[in-house]
Amino acid sequence: MGKPEPTGIKAWIFTTDHKKIAVLYLVTSLVFFVVGLLLAIIMRTKLLVPDREFLISNELYNVFFTIHGAAMVLFWMIPVLLGFFANYLIPLMIGAHDVAFPRVNALSYWMYVGACLIAVLGLVLPGRLDIGWTGYPPYSVTGPANTALYVFAVHLLGASSISGAVNFITTIITLRAPGMTWGRLNLTVWGIFGSFIIQLIGVPVLAAAVTLLLFDKYLGTHFYDTNGGNPLLYQHLFWFYAHPAVYVVALPVFGIVSDIVSTFARKRIFGYTSMVIAMMIITVLGFEVWVHHLYVAGTLNWSRIVFMWGTILIGVPTGIKVFNWLATLHKGSIDLKTPMLYALGFIALFTIGGITGIANGLVGFDIHVHDTHWVVAHFHYVLALSMSMLVLGGIYYWFPKMTGKMYDEKLGQLGFWLTLVGALIAFFPHFMMGVDGIPRRYAILPAEYTGMIRISSLFSYIAIAGFFITIWNYIKSARSGAPAPANPWNSLSLEWTIPSPPPFYNFEKIPVITSDPYEYGKPEGHGEEKGAVGGHAAHHH
Amino acid sequence: MYKKLLTTIIMLMALIVPATMVFGGERVADPAAGWDKHYHFFGVVGFLIFVIVFVPLLYFVFKYRRTSENHTGAYIEGNTGLEIMWTAIPVVIIVLLGVQTWALFNEYRSVPANAHEVKVEAYQYGFKMVSPEGIETDGEFTVPAGPVKLNMTSRDVIHDFAVPAFRVREDTVPGRWTYMWFNASKEGTYQVYCAELCGPGHSLMLAKLNVVSKAQYAKWVEENKMKAQTMTPVERGEKLAKQCIGCHSLDGSPAAGPTLKGLFNSDTKLADGSVVKTDVAFLKKKIKAPKNNLVDGYPPMMPPYSFTDDELNAVVEYIKSLK
Ligand code: HEC
Ligand code: HEM
Ligand SMILES: [Cu+2]
Ligand SMILES: [Cu+2]
Repeated sequence: MGKPEPTGIKAWIFTTDHKKIAVLYLVTSLVFFVVGLLLAIIMRTKLLVPDREFLISNELYNVFFTIHGAAMVLFWMIPVLLGFFANYLIPLMIGAHDVAFPRVNALSYWMYVGACLIAVLGLVLPGRLDIGWTGYPPYSVTGPANTALYVFAVHLLGASSISGAVNFITTIITLRAPGMTWGRLNLTVWGIFGSFIIQLIGVPVLAAAVTLLLFDKYLGTHFYDTNGGNPLLYQHLFWFYAHPAVYVVALPVFGIVSDIVSTFARKRIFGYTSMVIAMMIITVLGFEVWVHHLYVAGTLNWSRIVFMWGTILIGVPTGIKVFNWLATLHKGSIDLKTPMLYALGFIALFTIGGITGIANGLVGFDIHVHDTHWVVAHFHYVLALSMSMLVLGGIYYWFPKMTGKMYDEKLGQLGFWLTLVGALIAFFPHFMMGVDGIPRRYAILPAEYTGMIRISSLFSYIAIAGFFITIWNYIKSARSGAPAPANPWNSLSLEWTIPSPPPFYNFEKIPVITSDPYEYGKPEGHGEEKGAVGGHAAHHH
Repeated sequence: MYKKLLTTIIMLMALIVPATMVFGGERVADPAAGWDKHYHFFGVVGFLIFVIVFVPLLYFVFKYRRTSENHTGAYIEGNTGLEIMWTAIPVVIIVLLGVQTWALFNEYRSVPANAHEVKVEAYQYGFKMVSPEGIETDGEFTVPAGPVKLNMTSRDVIHDFAVPAFRVREDTVPGRWTYMWFNASKEGTYQVYCAELCGPGHSLMLAKLNVVSKAQYAKWVEENKMKAQTMTPVERGEKLAKQCIGCHSLDGSPAAGPTLKGLFNSDTKLADGSVVKTDVAFLKKKIKAPKNNLVDGYPPMMPPYSFTDDELNAVVEYIKSLK
């Protein structure tokens, strides 16, 4: 195609190729995942001994969970899903040469790098960020933290996300190959599409919220103070985006789980249409729940009831997805390769987190467990650990495609089992502390919980060891893995019809699509109008 | 298809309406007891959902393994009946839980008319309580058994007054009044936590709640009224300095700020490099406007205090007494 592929270091810095940008996102976000994990190790070790001077001071504990939370959510989960997976997969899955605006795409990445640098400054400059990843005023305004760093990081991330959203929404709408109808899109594409819609609506609100924080702190305005302002305003604006941000992470994850489960059960995804409808309901309903973060903040009583219904009803479309995954396994042909193990492990952890999340959403229940370790346990199950694991599984799944090499299956499984066992147990004691009403963000916990905390820390270390083994496996296999065929999983999805790694312009000729990616075992002549069997695979060059 | 949908909706209503009456109609005199019941109900429901997901998950994974390289799963696109079922049943469960929690929440937010009303002011890092008789205490509260209402605010940043024993908490917000109530049903001493991140001293922001009989409470009121008249300045200062111990130790141990032990008339190096004597004038200046006299090597986090002259003298007398 057209231009020749550039090479060398410049090829990476000046690249506008979606696959290269994807890899840049992957490497950068993995670095922040590791940073987040290292901070978690230090925090968990500090908690082993309930003493204010043990290992790190209380001040530093607060700084560490702030950076841990921000690194994990803003610099790892969201960029790896909407930076790496979206970039790598969308053009390949819809049959396009690249995204709609390749240069804007590169700009998105470099703005993200800028935000990363600012985040690192936040750890080392004086006035370290100890405001929690939520940054509530008045503390973030009157306290010693250098809130400007937090605000500028969010601005850059926001600009990166908004331009990414415009880019990918346009790409999905306009660059689908002939025959790639909305009903034939991979669920991964649908999930990413929903995510970017949320980003487009929500991120500007977050940017506004933190900008006012900046004005209050440095320009003496009074948006959030008691001099005519209202500290709760920030909480409303912040959570208007930051709750849906959970679905920004969850929707692509739901899509990837569906693709992995279908491929490794070699069976059509059960209830494709209801999967898509459920995702779109979550996209919309996700904006109808944010006040659950203000259940005990002194908000109006009736508003707590209204948003409770939004919060708990979102459990219904989420439940539909879990049951559809189970039904996909039923009568499948299940192959427990590493990516599939991660998908199944995800379903297990996510279910535990989901059930306990319903409890959190029940306004009468939450009045006792709000801001306790119940919440810490809930979100580490439902999002932090389950979805990080699924992301690692997704990387394994597309690893042969990206690198043209196979990963080490034995090491993959070892990492998985360590992480799964660690993750299942590590946060369970936190539910018990939560039911006892023990607050989160405590550098010193009441001494009677030391036993539980030690169990939790031990299994955290095991989970993290699994994570490190997994990352090591990627590095090792990318350098010296066995060569991978174009389609090692016999998947019917479009990205597997091209060579591994894909050529510079992906498709020599834009393919014509005649079937959807889930038609495993489709009997001859079933559903006439859809045309030939295995249409995707038919376009193998 | 549409008929199926319609029947489902009718069946849903048939289930939801009576359930609403059963769960919604229930009244609990004590939200804490109501919370425990709600928790147990949730526990049963949650466990059932857990089983319904995990049993098929494990069973399918063991049963439907790939047998040969070319083995493929059955071709099934979906099943409308099943899909409606696992939409409808969760809706019913969610509505049941929601209605129950709504009733409970109403109990939490409707204060009984006979409640004992206490004013709470939170600050970095402690709670001040003013009893209906006007008695002020820091860090340790006494209330009579029975319903207690707290009218709460904050002096600096957002905090939260959490009493796990009575299953309740609510934020204290500067510039606003929030409220909560609980039924102090059993006499005893209970732990109070701050449950909203408020700074480095957050996890040290604890207090005690004493629930006593009506008679003991009356005695407590009398004693405190007497004490207020006969207190020496050092005693008054000690009481006021309860607000400082979140950041300053009284025994020389390290904390967010320098220890107050032996501080009086010592030499302090300020952030601008100068060295000053911590005499009475300096202490007063520092407490009133801490940002103007920053001590070297500490973060500028001490809040200013607007004490009356009497109070300021008392605090300084108390610091003097800490040798
Ligand atoms: C939020 C934490 C905090 C609280 C509450 C607090 N201080 Fe401080 N205080 C500090 C810190 C930190 C320093 C050292 C930095 C500075 O000079 O501001 C300090 C410094 C001081 C000094 C100067 C010490 C020296 O070495 O010269 C005095 C005196 C003092 N505080 C008195 C008080 C008194 C009295 C109270 C209560 C009425 C109080 N502080 C409450 C944090 C606090
Ligand atoms: C095994 C790995 C992990 C361990 C051991 C761990 C541990 C912790 C600990 C100890 C806290 C502080 C709890 C408190 O005192 O309130 C915390 C907070 C948090 N963690 Fe993790 N964590 C892990 C992985 C993750 C991941 C992968 C994410 C990704 C989303 C994540 C997101 C968060 C967030 C958002 C917070 C809240 C920060 C705040 O309160 O501002 N964690 N974690
Ligand atoms: Cu939320
Ligand atoms: Cu606090």
